[in-house]
Amino acid sequence: MTDVRQLPTSSADEQVPLLAIEEVSKRFPGVQALDDVNLSIEAGEVHGLVGQNGAGKSTLVKCVSGVHPPDEGRIVFDGEVITTYMPKHAYELGIAVVHQRTQLLPWLSVAENVLLGQMPAMKGLLINRREANELTRDLLARFKLDIDPEMPVARLATPERQQVAIAKALFRRAKLLILDEPTAALDAERSERLFALVDGLTRDGVSVLYVSHHLEEVFRLADRVTVLRDGELVATRPARELSQDEVVTLMAGRRLAVAAESPRPAGNGKAAVIELQHLETGVLHDVDFTVHEGEVVGVTGVIGAGGHDIARVLFGLDRPAGGRVLLRGEPYEPRGPKQSIARGVFMVPEDPAREGLIPVLSLAGNVTLANLRAITSRGILSLRRERQIARHFVRDLSISAPSIDTPVRNLSGGNQQKVLLAKALTAEAAVLVLEEPTQGVDVHATAEIHRIVRGLAASGQAVMVISTDIRDLLEFVDRIVALRAGCVVADVTAYERSYAQILDVTVGAAGATAS
Amino acid sequence: MSSETQAGLQGSAPAPQRLPLRARLKNIDVYSLWPVAVMIVIIVVTGARSPHYLTVFNFENILSQIAPLGIVTMGQAILLISAGLDLSVGYNIALSSIVTGLLLEHGQPLWLAIIAGVAASTAVGFGNGVLVAQNRAHPFIITLGMSIFLFGLDTQLTGGAPVNDMKGLYTAFGGNLPSGFPFFGLPSLTIPLVLVVVLAFAFLRWTPVGRRAYAIGGNEEAAYLSGIPVKRTKIYLYTLMGALVGLTGMCLAGEINEASFNLAQNFELESIACAVIGGTALFGGRGGALRSVQGVALWGIVQNAIVFAGLSSNYQQMALGAIIVVAVMVTRKQR
Repeated sequence: MTDVRQLPTSSADEQVPLLAIEEVSKRFPGVQALDDVNLSIEAGEVHGLVGQNGAGKSTLVKCVSGVHPPDEGRIVFDGEVITTYMPKHAYELGIAVVHQRTQLLPWLSVAENVLLGQMPAMKGLLINRREANELTRDLLARFKLDIDPEMPVARLATPERQQVAIAKALFRRAKLLILDEPTAALDAERSERLFALVDGLTRDGVSVLYVSHHLEEVFRLADRVTVLRDGELVATRPARELSQDEVVTLMAGRRLAVAAESPRPAGNGKAAVIELQHLETGVLHDVDFTVHEGEVVGVTGVIGAGGHDIARVLFGLDRPAGGRVLLRGEPYEPRGPKQSIARGVFMVPEDPAREGLIPVLSLAGNVTLANLRAITSRGILSLRRERQIARHFVRDLSISAPSIDTPVRNLSGGNQQKVLLAKALTAEAAVLVLEEPTQGVDVHATAEIHRIVRGLAASGQAVMVISTDIRDLLEFVDRIVALRAGCVVADVTAYERSYAQILDVTVGAAGATAS
Repeated sequence: MSSETQAGLQGSAPAPQRLPLRARLKNIDVYSLWPVAVMIVIIVVTGARSPHYLTVFNFENILSQIAPLGIVTMGQAILLISAGLDLSVGYNIALSSIVTGLLLEHGQPLWLAIIAGVAASTAVGFGNGVLVAQNRAHPFIITLGMSIFLFGLDTQLTGGAPVNDMKGLYTAFGGNLPSGFPFFGLPSLTIPLVLVVVLAFAFLRWTPVGRRAYAIGGNEEAAYLSGIPVKRTKIYLYTLMGALVGLTGMCLAGEINEASFNLAQNFELESIACAVIGGTALFGGRGGALRSVQGVALWGIVQNAIVFAGLSSNYQQMALGAIIVVAVMVTRKQR
């Protein structure tokens, strides 16, 4: 808990900050998302906001942009205390958020999006298209953006859409621009162009709150950096006084002791089940690692680092552009989930309600869905067999449900995850790919899921857990593969490395020191 | 339902056992039986007012009236469960009857005419399935387009004039079954109706494809990620609908001894309405064969009771419209 209140307002001549967040706290059921946070942003400042997943960055952004009212404390913007917490109100005050997925109207033109609701009109009736296009072109040119104002937004690539969203914010005379992971979809050159744009903005007096996992970018742009951890603000300091190493330490907190009590063998002697060899996709570069029988491998990295893309390749949803995958030594090129499942590879997707389960279908129906063959004889489903299987898993995975006929949408998040695991087990998968299995799940259920996954490995299955939560992974995996920008930057036995070390390589502070 | 959710949030519970019969009966959603309740009320009230109402003849009459609609409704219910629907059934029924009727008119044997008629509508169903599955387009617009296309085709084939003699088909479906055990002189159409209802019930409950229909309707993305062949299943379901449409065409044309383009007007919307009245969800994932039969029965009984009440057929339409709206409100109450 360092220098929070004695902010280095270098020009200490009572200059009023553009944004002042004063003693703001926000609680969600079970989580203290923000705890007594104080933060100010000066006019024309670029303020970097960093922290691990769940540190409270997005909650803070949502408070400032009017999505969530804070439980305690207040937010002062441009000398005015915010009383109405509504996104529209914040926008009118001059606070604009550009999200990873920007919200534009796809079938309207660039000009119509930028000028939305404020199109120049002839005699107050008909829209003056020519003038609108001129206006937009001028605005875009100010930021050296060459986009046709008449182009429908749907035809633009993601980077251009982001630029349009920024142009739209600036047309509304935004004073504070919040960029949330703005480079997630950008290549190096496009990122450079964005950085130049940000530099230009601050010269015009616009402030930028820059939220990113990529410390290099934050250090490239920010005047000051704020670090959040577990909802608390641990430091706000001028960027030039900080090193990236220090920031990582601040993000991780104390150097955590190694989580695993006993060293687990890293698949030594066991057969390789999945081998990724020089895998290339739009995101992944030369990804090369192996998962052995009876091994739990954690794959981590910031959002967009490539974990999700590995899962998609393994489940046949994406085809690799280069390299190959071997399954028990044989080439493995599934052309969809059906083929993957037939070969014994099963993916449990990140969002159980949206991608994993059939919400209105019963627990039993969901459990057997990926392997109806197991309960079919001569073309007829054996509901009796289905109930046996469902009851078996309810007992084995201690799923708590009123009955196996209950629609899964009436179950809690943790129990839904367990139903998904039961479904994967019914599919007789030899290789399980779990995406964020403990996300949004309470402590008790998390421990249960850890226990189940360890049990699977003990019975010889190969498990790959893809998660952005390094601390969670360290509690139950044998090995961790860390990804950064699509490249493997570390492949280590879990007990060899601490949380801070792995965090360090994924956010890219010190490069590939661990290997 | 909140108590279920509560229980689901608590820690590990003992494994649920098969519930005793009484508890399982309690589990039946009382709301889903509302059409039965309404039917009983109508039957009691109308029966008290008219001596001719509660007669075997009258109920046979209702049965033969709703049989063709009932068969199509089973197909429509299966499609609705998979989050699909078919708006082309009306003119597709007409197509199958016209193909059969024209072949009979040209002196072809009955078996050939029936096979050709059913094959035509099945091919149309297959076409609907391929178009819906391959284009990931909304079935509403695809099957609407198909419906308009078929209207043109039907009138072109007949020149607008009906085929007035269905020959052997009329002999088969136009009359009644032998009296006495086991058919009791019921209308001939009772047999195909009962067969289709039983098969639809079994299909949805005990076959892998039926289960896939629920999964696709409940969450198509999750169904795909579970290894379900979504496209193939959709094509299969629309083709099945085409075959049921063909059967309906034979029943209807045989019953009234006529094949024409307006043989089954409004069947597309009436079959959707019946399925929804019975409690099949309009947007997929929930519903069943027996529920949908309730909807058909209510439809027939209301139409018939209004005739007995001495009201014009305009009141039939008003009553049926009101029932659809009530059905939606009750269905929303269910969960």
